[in-house]
Amino acid sequence: MTQETVSAVSPATTQENAVEPFEPDITAFTCIYCGFMSADTAGALHFSYPANVKLLKLPCTGKVDVEYILKAFENGADGVYVVACPLGNCHHLEGNVRATKRVAYAKKLLDEIGLGGERVEIFYMSGGQGGAFAEAARTMTERIRKMGPNPLRKILNRC
Amino acid sequence: MPHREKIGAVLVVGAGVGGMRAAVDLAEAGLQVYLVEASSSLGGVVAQLGFMFPTHDCVLCRGTSDHGYGCTRPSITPALLDHSVHPNIHVMTLSEVVALDGLPGDFRVTILHKPRYVDVRKCINCGDCSEVCPVDLPDRFQTGFTTHKAAFKPAPRAIPNAYLIEKGHYCIDCRKCEEVCPTKAINLDEAETYEEIRVGAVILALGYRLYDPSRAAEYGYGRYPNVITSLQYERLASRSGPTEGIVLRPSDNQFPKRIAWLQCVGSRDKEHPYCSSICCMYATKEALLAKQRVPGVECEIFMMDERAFSKEYNAYYERARDEFGVKYTRCRVSGIKEDPKTHDLILDYQTEDGKLRESRFGLVVLSVGSEPPPKAKALAEKLGVDLNTYGFCETDKFEPLDTTRPGIFVCGAFATPKEIAETVIDASGAAARVMELLSGATRVAPSARPLPPERDITNEPRKVAVYVCECGQEVAGVVDVPAVVERARTLPDVVSAEHVQYACLPEGLDQIRESLRQSGANRVVVAACTPRTHEALFQQVLREVGLNPYLLEFVSIRDHCSWVHREDPAGATRKAHELIRVGVARARTLEPVHKVRGDFRRSAVVLGGGLAGMTAALAIADGGYDVYLVEKTDQLGGNLRHLYFTAEGPDPQRLLRQLVKDVECNPRIAVLKSSELVGFGGHVGNFRSVIATRKNGETVTQTISHGVLIVATGAKEYRGQQYLFGQDPRVITQLDLEKQIATSPDMAHSLNSIVMIQCVRGPEPQADYCSRTCCTNTLKNAIRIKQINPDCQIYVLYKDLITYGHREEFYTEARRRGVIFMRYDENERPSVRVVNEELQVVVREPILGERVILKPDVVALSMATVPADSNPQLARLLGVPLSREGFFMEAHLKLRPMDFIGEGIFLCGLAHYPKFIEESISHALATAGRALSILSKPTLELGGVVASVDESKCVACLTCVRTCPFDVPVVDPQRVGNGGIKGAAYIDPALCQGCGTCTAECPANAIQLAHYRDDQLALCDMDILGRWQVV
Repeated sequence: MTQETVSAVSPATTQENAVEPFEPDITAFTCIYCGFMSADTAGALHFSYPANVKLLKLPCTGKVDVEYILKAFENGADGVYVVACPLGNCHHLEGNVRATKRVAYAKKLLDEIGLGGERVEIFYMSGGQGGAFAEAARTMTERIRKMGPNPLRKILNRC
Repeated sequence: MPHREKIGAVLVVGAGVGGMRAAVDLAEAGLQVYLVEASSSLGGVVAQLGFMFPTHDCVLCRGTSDHGYGCTRPSITPALLDHSVHPNIHVMTLSEVVALDGLPGDFRVTILHKPRYVDVRKCINCGDCSEVCPVDLPDRFQTGFTTHKAAFKPAPRAIPNAYLIEKGHYCIDCRKCEEVCPTKAINLDEAETYEEIRVGAVILALGYRLYDPSRAAEYGYGRYPNVITSLQYERLASRSGPTEGIVLRPSDNQFPKRIAWLQCVGSRDKEHPYCSSICCMYATKEALLAKQRVPGVECEIFMMDERAFSKEYNAYYERARDEFGVKYTRCRVSGIKEDPKTHDLILDYQTEDGKLRESRFGLVVLSVGSEPPPKAKALAEKLGVDLNTYGFCETDKFEPLDTTRPGIFVCGAFATPKEIAETVIDASGAAARVMELLSGATRVAPSARPLPPERDITNEPRKVAVYVCECGQEVAGVVDVPAVVERARTLPDVVSAEHVQYACLPEGLDQIRESLRQSGANRVVVAACTPRTHEALFQQVLREVGLNPYLLEFVSIRDHCSWVHREDPAGATRKAHELIRVGVARARTLEPVHKVRGDFRRSAVVLGGGLAGMTAALAIADGGYDVYLVEKTDQLGGNLRHLYFTAEGPDPQRLLRQLVKDVECNPRIAVLKSSELVGFGGHVGNFRSVIATRKNGETVTQTISHGVLIVATGAKEYRGQQYLFGQDPRVITQLDLEKQIATSPDMAHSLNSIVMIQCVRGPEPQADYCSRTCCTNTLKNAIRIKQINPDCQIYVLYKDLITYGHREEFYTEARRRGVIFMRYDENERPSVRVVNEELQVVVREPILGERVILKPDVVALSMATVPADSNPQLARLLGVPLSREGFFMEAHLKLRPMDFIGEGIFLCGLAHYPKFIEESISHALATAGRALSILSKPTLELGGVVASVDESKCVACLTCVRTCPFDVPVVDPQRVGNGGIKGAAYIDPALCQGCGTCTAECPANAIQLAHYRDDQLALCDMDILGRWQVV
C-alpha cells in the first residue's frame, strides 16, 4: 500500500454509516492442513455458508504476510480472514502464532487508516471442524455487512 | 536359502498406524507392499482419536503424510491419500488372509476380498446412495452417537475415499442405491473373490481390540446412559466427532459438572492379568480436554497407579494434577449406581486411608483396556505363529519383532499393549527386519514408472488449459457450468476451456490427456472436487503428458462451492467464476518445481556401541550397506555389560557375547573404539563426520563421508548420594544387587531382610520422570532372591508401581511370593539412617497411617536412568534439540520417535529415553529401517517446495534465523550479501520444511518460497487477492 493511498483514506471518508445491505467480497487465507481441510469437511458434510469467500491455499498460515492482507484490501476486499490450526497444534509448530501476531498488526494498521481493524480476523479450527468453518464464514459476513463495503473501492475507483 | 529367489514383495496385515508406517518404509525401500485391511478404510483405532497425549496434537494433521506431488515434508505417518498412495503400495481393504505357505523369502498367500459393492474408482462421493437408503445403522466410527445408512462412508476423510454398502441382514435389497448412482459404481451382486500373491515376508500389524465393558455388569455400561467408554469420550472430545468437540452427557445433552474416569476396566484383573499401558495417559488427556472444553468441570480419575512412564509423560501428569486440578484418587471402584431421576452416577469407594466415601458424577468414563485383536487366534493358526498366554503374539525378548515363524514379523499392539509412538517404532523396526531378510531381492524404485521426459517450457508462450468438472450433477446441478466454461475461455492466456463430465474417471482423464496434447497447453487449471483428494491424480496426468506436475492449479468448485452453496445457485456460479479466474491468474505464474537428484554415500555412521548401536549397525550391514560404529570406550556393550539376568528369563550376557561377536566379525562394519564425534556437517546423503580416536596416548582424527547417522549414545545409572548411598556399603543400587545375586548366589542366602526403594533421583530442580525399567528390575531381583531364599523379607517402597504391558505378571508373582509393597508419598519420602551400626529405613505405612521402622541387611536403590553427560555437547554438534529431561528430542514425540527433524539423522536406545532391552532393540531396528529406506534409493531427491534466499537482497539481519521454527536458516560467512557485505542467509533445501514463515518475516523480501512466491500470490499481474472480478 502506497503512502498516497494511506493518506487518501481519512477517517471522515469512511464514516458513511448508513450501510445498505450488500454482499461483501471476502478473501480468506488457509493453511493446507487444518484451514483448508476444515473447508473440505464443511463440503463433505454439506454445511452451507455464504458464497462470498474465496480461499487462498498456503502451506502454512506462517506464510500469511501482512503485505498480503493489505494487498487484499488495496484490491478492494471487504473483509479478510485467516483460518489456522488451533493454537499449539500448528503443523509447523508456530506458524499460526506468527499469523496471529500479523493479523493483530494488520488490525492496528487498518484502524489507523480508518478502514477498521474488524475487517480482518483469524480463526482457529481443526480440519475436522466443518461446522466451525461455516460458522466463521457467517460471522465474517455478518460483521462485514454491518461495516459496509471497503471504502477504498470508491477511492481507487475499482468498483 | 541361497538357491531360492527372494520375492521383493511384502504382505502387511492391518492398516492402522503401525501397518501404514511399515508399508511406507518398505515401499520407500523399493519393495512392493500389499497392505491388507479387514475393515473398509485405513487408519485403525488411531483414526478415531482426536488428540494424542501428551502433545495434544490432532492426529488428523500430524497423521497426514504428504500434501501433493513431491511435498518436502518427510511423511509423518502414512495416512495415505487416495491418489497419493505410494506407487509401491497396493491397498486391499475388506480383505483377509486365508492361507499361507512357503518359506521366508517366498511365501504364497491367499487373500479373500469381500465385496464393497461400490467400485472405489468410480465413486465420486456424491452421497446419493446414502440419501435413498432406507436403513439406519449405528455409526461405528462415532461409537454409536450417530447413525449412518447401510450405504455410507465411514468418515468424511475415510480412505479409500468412497462409499460402501453394508449388506447385512438389515438390507432390504431395495436396490435404490444401485439405481440412483450417477456413475454406475454400485453392483449389489458383487461376489467375494480370492487372490493369490507371492511375498518374501509378512508383517502382522493387527492392532488390538478395546475391552467391551458391557461384559462387566457392575459398571452399568449399556444400562446407564451416562456411563461411556473412553473411546466414546474420545469421539465426543474430537473436533471431528458428533459434537465437533463439545463434551455433553448422553442422557440430557447438558454439560457434565463432574466427570469420573475409572481406570483398569478390563486391565489388571483376573481375566486380563496385564496392564494395557495406554489408559493412564489417555484418561489424563481426556480429563485435560474436559478442563479445557467444559467450563468449571471437576475431573477425578480413580486409579491404582499412575503409569506415566514415557518421555514428557510425567510432566504432563503433574501439569494435569497441579495446574489444571485434575484429581487423582487411588482406588479401584468396584461398581456404579445410578440416580434414576437425574441419571447422575454414584460411586462408593474406599480412599487410601481406608475411609468409605460416596461421590456423585454427571458422567463416568470407563478407561477400557486392550485385548488381543479380533480373529487373532484364527489367523495365528492359519499362519502358524504362536500366541502367548494372553492371546497376544508370542515374541522373544531379544527378537521382539519376530514371530515364532521365520519370515513373519509383528509390530504394534498385537505383540503387547502399547501406544502410538512404540507402535511406530515397532513398525519401522519390523520393516528393517524385512529389509534384512529380503536384502538382494528385486527392488522397484518408487518413481520407476515409465514416464515421458519433462518438456522444457521456458521459452514457450503461456498457454493455459481449463477443465471444469461437472461431477455429474454434483457441480453441474448447482453451478452453471457452460457459463463458467464460456467465461474461462475469455481469460488471459487461456487456449482451451472444456467441461468434463467426470474428470477423475478414466474417460475424463483420457479427455484431459488428449486435450492437453492437442492444445499444447503448458499451464493447467482443473476446477473440480478438492485438491486434498484429487490433486495428486491430476498432477500425475500432467506428468504423463510431459508437463511438470507443479504447473497444475487445482480449484475446488465442488467441496468449497456447489456442495456448500446448494441453496444459492447464482452465488455458487459467481463464486465458481471468481475461483477459476484466480486459478488462471495463479496458473499463469506457475513454473516447474524440481527436486534435485543426486548420488550419495550409501553408508552409515552409528554413534554408540551399546545394545542399540550394535543392533542398528548389524541390521544396516545385513541390509547390504557399510557401517562405521563409533564407540567412546575401549569395548563394545555399553550398559548391556551390567545386566546379568532378565525378568523374562533370557540371558543378557549371552546376547552381549553374540552381538559383539557378530559386530566384530561383520565385514561391513568398521568398529572405531575409543572414538568420538568431534565435527559434523553436510546433509542427508552426504554427511561429513570427523571422528577422533585415542590411541597410545595420541588422538588421531579422520573424516568420514556417509549418508545417514544414528545416535545411540545411551544413558547411565544415577549414582548420587541419596539414602546414604556411597556412605554406607549396605546401601547399593539395583544394578549392584543384580550383579551380586548373579555372581555370588550365597549373598541372597545370607539376607534376612532387604528394603528396595523406588524412584531415586537427583535433587529437585532436575525434571522428574519415570525411568521405565526400575520397577520391573526391582521385581526381577526380588523374585530371584525369593527363589533362592524364600525366608528373606523383602519390602518395596514405591510411589507408583509401573509394570506396564505383560510385565504386570512379575508384580503378581512378587506379591504371590510374599514381597511386601508399601506406597510412599512424593512429599514424605522414606529415610535411611544408621543407628548403632544398624541400618534403618523409616517409612510411613499408608494404611496404618503410622511411621514404621524397617531394619534391613541391605537397602537397594532403584536409581534413575539419567542422560549421558555428553548429550549437550553432542546435541550442539549435530544441531539437534534435547528434551526437558536432557535426553535427545526426536522430530515428533508420537509419530516420528526415531527421527530427528533434520533428515537422515536418527535416534535410538537410551539416548532417547530409558527403556528395556527389547524396546532398545526395536528402536534400534526402527532407525535401521529408516536408514535402509534412504540408503536403498537409487538417487536422493532434495528440495522442492522450499525457501531460498536471494543473497543480493540479504543484509544478514538474522530475522529468518530467529523466525524459523525448525532452526534451518544460517548466516553463512562464505556468502556475499547486499552491497557486498560478508555473510548472507542460507537455507539448506534438504532441511527446509517448506512452511514459508521466514518469507513473510524477511524485512528485505529476500526469501521466496518455491510455488508460493509473492508474484504468484499477492503481486501477481492479474489480481488474486481482494475484490471479486465477476460480472
